[in-house]
Amino acid sequence: MSSSEQRKKRVAVKSGLYKVANAPGERDYLYGSRCRACGTYFYPQRGYCAHCFSEDLEEVALSERGEVWSYTTVTQTYPGAVLTGPFVMASVELPEEVWVDTLLTDVDPESVKIGTPVEIYFFKVSEDEEREVVAFGFRPVAS
Amino acid sequence: MSEKEVVILGVAVSKFGRVTGRPNKEFALEVGRNALKDAGIDYRDIQIGFAAHCHQPLGTGTDVFGELGITGIPITNVEVACASQTRSVLLAAELIAAGAYDTAMVIGIEKLPRGMVPIGGDAADYSYEGRMGLVSAPGDFALEANHHMHLYGTKREHFAKAAEKAHRNGSLNPNATYQDVYTLDEIMSSRMIAEPITMLMCSANADGCTATIVCSKEKARQYTSNPMVLCGWSAGSPLYVKGEKSLGTAPFELLGEKAYEVAGVGPKDIEVAQVHDAFSPLEVFFCEDLGFCPRGEGGPFVWEGNTEINGTIPINTDGGLVSCGHPIGATGGRMIYELALQLRGQAGQRQVKGGKVNTALLINEGLGGANVMIFKR
Repeated sequence: MSSSEQRKKRVAVKSGLYKVANAPGERDYLYGSRCRACGTYFYPQRGYCAHCFSEDLEEVALSERGEVWSYTTVTQTYPGAVLTGPFVMASVELPEEVWVDTLLTDVDPESVKIGTPVEIYFFKVSEDEEREVVAFGFRPVAS
Repeated sequence: MSEKEVVILGVAVSKFGRVTGRPNKEFALEVGRNALKDAGIDYRDIQIGFAAHCHQPLGTGTDVFGELGITGIPITNVEVACASQTRSVLLAAELIAAGAYDTAMVIGIEKLPRGMVPIGGDAADYSYEGRMGLVSAPGDFALEANHHMHLYGTKREHFAKAAEKAHRNGSLNPNATYQDVYTLDEIMSSRMIAEPITMLMCSANADGCTATIVCSKEKARQYTSNPMVLCGWSAGSPLYVKGEKSLGTAPFELLGEKAYEVAGVGPKDIEVAQVHDAFSPLEVFFCEDLGFCPRGEGGPFVWEGNTEINGTIPINTDGGLVSCGHPIGATGGRMIYELALQLRGQAGQRQVKGGKVNTALLINEGLGGANVMIFKR
């Protein structure tokens, strides 16, 4: 890695959903909330528990692996969107019983299956002089 | 609590389609006047107004009602995405039932650009999914459709059959945007929008205007001896249930049960229905949600012809959203209009059960809400 690339600040497409590493020892990860009162998890994070209405929620890292709940092919997106079709979009269910709408890659659109074990990864979508914008996708767990 | 009974006194729709360049006021004058004539009521006797729309300018409510009269009544704009018009009618119904008013008028009006419906708003409020390109209405329902296929063995053909029937019914409806009939093959091989949803299984943006006159049954005696009674309804928004993937609209099954309970009827009593087929798989889902068939059997139920005009429970006899087109804020008024024709025996070639219809149901849903109505005559 060149020194100029090292200085670029890595940022998320939108804050509040996943952390991106900017210092040694940090890692990229998806996060949500866990209600300290009833144990329910949420993604994205919430200020009140939607299950028991407690305000006592903590930020927690979510599992890196889940299963495809469903998927579809996207052929058209709004002007200005990061992704343009065609691509596979999926709703991934994590063990915390939260669902994440995501780009799904490294799959054959004809043969992707509901229930396929998948894992999160992070990738650069754009950069300028100072910043590198990072998004996440899911892909099948390497067997 | 003794509540007043509520009736639908008058209905009207414009032809749906592309009318770029036609002012909202002109639209509303035509359709509003037709609804008033249909009800046999003068505008001066309307006590409250609601304008349902999602993409029209500020002040649209007073603009469109202003064409009919300037009578100082409260006029309020209502937005619940695709469910705006029926939510307006339910707000009117609740006020009338509570005794606050006797007469109300709802005008649904929308003119839309071609292609994807604009999101609008401040970029700070765009979701991650929106910024990425992971948000689209067909995409969301395609996820549901593929999950349904996985759970119950529903086939693409089942969804396509709902579209084939919608286009065929729409060919009998002069107000529909699209009046062409397509084969199952043509539907399934039309352009893929979001697997398994093809272009001919989607409702397209349309321009359109609808109007509904709502009245207390007591007051309605002045105008008719046989009104269409709104005998049960329910309205809702997304409901969080731990461990379940949340729908972005509302819990349809619960809303159906609630409306049935209020109306004192069950799914077997419904003789004709309007369901919100923004995309054809929704007809399959709603057959299950509303109890017309058991959970998981919606695909074969539609495939076997149960929802045809001559079927056991005719659905979307006017072609639904798929054929009529979808002027977002106005769509609900089109659903009420078709059920009014069916209940009056005035649906012509689309008429079900030889014109002897007593009980009808509709479900109108949109981003953030859904409404169920049950009518009796």
